[in-house]
Amino acid sequence: MQIPFVNLKKQSELEKNIIIKSVKKVLKKSSFILGDDNRILEKKIEKYTKAKYCALLNSGTDALTLALHVVGVKKGDEVITCSNSFIASAAAIVHLGAKPIFIDVKDDQNMDPKLIEKKITKKTKAIMPVHLTGRVCDMTPIIRIAKKYNLKIVEDAAQSFGSKYKEKFSGTFGDIGCISLHPLKNFNGVGDGGLILTNSKKYYERIVSLRNHGIKDRNFVDEFGYVSRYDSLKAAILINRFRSLKKIINNRRKNAKLYQKLLNTKKIFIPVETKNEFNTYHTFVIQVENREKLIDYLKRKKISTAIHYPIPIHMQKAYKRINNFKVYLPKTMAQSKRILSLPINDYLSKREIIYISKNINKFYN
Amino acid sequence: MKNSKVRYSYLPQQFKKIDHILKRVKKVIQSGDFTLGKELGIFEKKFANLIGTKYAVGVNSGTDAIKLSLAAIGIKKGDEVITAANTFVATVGGICELGAKPVFVDVLENYCMDADLIEAKITKKTKAILPVHFTGYTPNMSKIMSLSKKYKIPVIEDACQGILSSFNKKNSGTWGITGCFSLHPLKNLNVWSDGGVITTNNKKIYNRLRLLRNHGLINRDEFIITGYNSRLDTIQAAVGNCLIKDVKKLTNQRILNAKFYDKEFKKVKELKIPKREKNNRNVFHLYVIFAKKRNQLLKYCLEKGIECKIHYPKELYLQKGLKFLNHKRGDFPVTDWQCKNIISFPVDQYLSKKQLSYVTKTVINFYNK
Repeated sequence: MQIPFVNLKKQSELEKNIIIKSVKKVLKKSSFILGDDNRILEKKIEKYTKAKYCALLNSGTDALTLALHVVGVKKGDEVITCSNSFIASAAAIVHLGAKPIFIDVKDDQNMDPKLIEKKITKKTKAIMPVHLTGRVCDMTPIIRIAKKYNLKIVEDAAQSFGSKYKEKFSGTFGDIGCISLHPLKNFNGVGDGGLILTNSKKYYERIVSLRNHGIKDRNFVDEFGYVSRYDSLKAAILINRFRSLKKIINNRRKNAKLYQKLLNTKKIFIPVETKNEFNTYHTFVIQVENREKLIDYLKRKKISTAIHYPIPIHMQKAYKRINNFKVYLPKTMAQSKRILSLPINDYLSKREIIYISKNINKFYN
Repeated sequence: MKNSKVRYSYLPQQFKKIDHILKRVKKVIQSGDFTLGKELGIFEKKFANLIGTKYAVGVNSGTDAIKLSLAAIGIKKGDEVITAANTFVATVGGICELGAKPVFVDVLENYCMDADLIEAKITKKTKAILPVHFTGYTPNMSKIMSLSKKYKIPVIEDACQGILSSFNKKNSGTWGITGCFSLHPLKNLNVWSDGGVITTNNKKIYNRLRLLRNHGLINRDEFIITGYNSRLDTIQAAVGNCLIKDVKKLTNQRILNAKFYDKEFKKVKELKIPKREKNNRNVFHLYVIFAKKRNQLLKYCLEKGIECKIHYPKELYLQKGLKFLNHKRGDFPVTDWQCKNIISFPVDQYLSKKQLSYVTKTVINFYNK
């Protein structure tokens, strides 16, 4: 049995005819940029997430950049976030001339709200919680702190489209929520893509202008913007995929449950899904001893795994270049050596999960 | 515009028969290789060959091509970049995004920056010259390059509208440290979404651009600079690979169409055609001339079903977004005059002889009324 970590090929194989149909439809209209299909998809997502506004963009990274831009993050500001994320989170802050201030995480790899207040200074402008692995951060205390200190919240919800916390959708807690539609995400396009969710008309309208050069109409520019538009083509394909989103999430949740049941939790740490949470398992991450040996062992059994992410952002060269003092994040560092992502994609069969779990248990016995 | 006799967008015609493209796109879909895939590498090689540079890098848009080029040569807050006063917002957007200041120079009759005005604008802060190959014309690159040498200021070419245009037989995109191209659906070489390409002969810049477009990642887990996410989708590269072989032919057709217009419009004393210099190969991304009673002519043409346009009616340097530069009307007299007098006629490769003569006849009728 050979088990790949992701299975885009299978998805493409199953959907190729409907994809080509969507492509043909868009070509007939020949409206490739900011066409009708974009707005249709945005409306569907607004309805689904109960956010007032959704704007499609060229990537999750761009979503973060534009969100931070419109909430007013600028040179000299500080943004509190986590270091165990994909680099895009911190890069967006750096590109606006602001500084990422990293705080440590909880056992579930998400931001520890208890550590926020200590890091707030006069320069702090925003908090950027990262909903890693498809799990929403503990938002109630984060929102309370943001209110108390008058800080903005930009959610990095890149990995958590469809996830919930206390029945409310990921990306709808803060001022703006940022989601990625990258091919490796649960709700995935056939190329780069992203979107923002917000309840603020002001933020929405500004982002809609900024994503299109900042032009008001074809001839007037009030503010210089970016080019960050989602293609009609990818939008048309996602409108079709939207129908299967529920199924994708259910399958992933089912897979996660099965792992939790089968894996020997005496030897392996799996953060539990609390009753406040509804996790969509973009990744299924376990925390283990002897990780490198386990990876090799599983490789020999033809099971692919991955690490999200082996080097925290504060340990990267690019970060050291902009920051010369030491950042102390013991939990983040410890987890970076223990975390391992198991295959969780929605094409995985029950048999495959049993096979993976059995082998992991065997390794630790 | 429905029933438009001479429509501006030719895309429905261009993509009437697409089975060969769909076949290639389908292969990408089946491979699941959607970002930085194999088709992109092929496209980059083909594009570099077409333009005549060692390297090409596919990015998300022409705007990003400019932004990433500026970032690659280290443009940052406080720097100054000299560019043309009449360009599209994107040129300036790229400069402003990096915190640098656009410094404008006025243009010549051919809508391109007047190279003789550059030297007066050079200061200690000047870190790049960004000529814009507007409408498909190329500015005097020989002069610009000698200034670049004299002052050791790199040149980045905004060749978004200038694919296969040339000056003294040297292609746009091969002069500067980088050349920036757009693959937007309305460009001469187009894909089915936003897209852009950067050309360069400089290996160091090439490697840096490849990092910058992909988060600064040297491998899946390590990044050495903070980069951007600006990749040309593999699917779009596949579309580009199908269309790139037509570019030479369609460029020639555009040039022929423009010649036809020129011949007819020369007879109209109310129209002025910019001088067609032999050493400046205009690829007519846009066919722009100067017209008396421009607004009435525009209205008349639209009524007659000819989708004329103005590129661009509002002076860039007077836009609200550039208020901080404190420019006032009159700072760039040629740009000002052109704004009031320019008009663009459809010139694409799909226009029939009949459509072309309908355009010229309609214009002639307007002035004979």
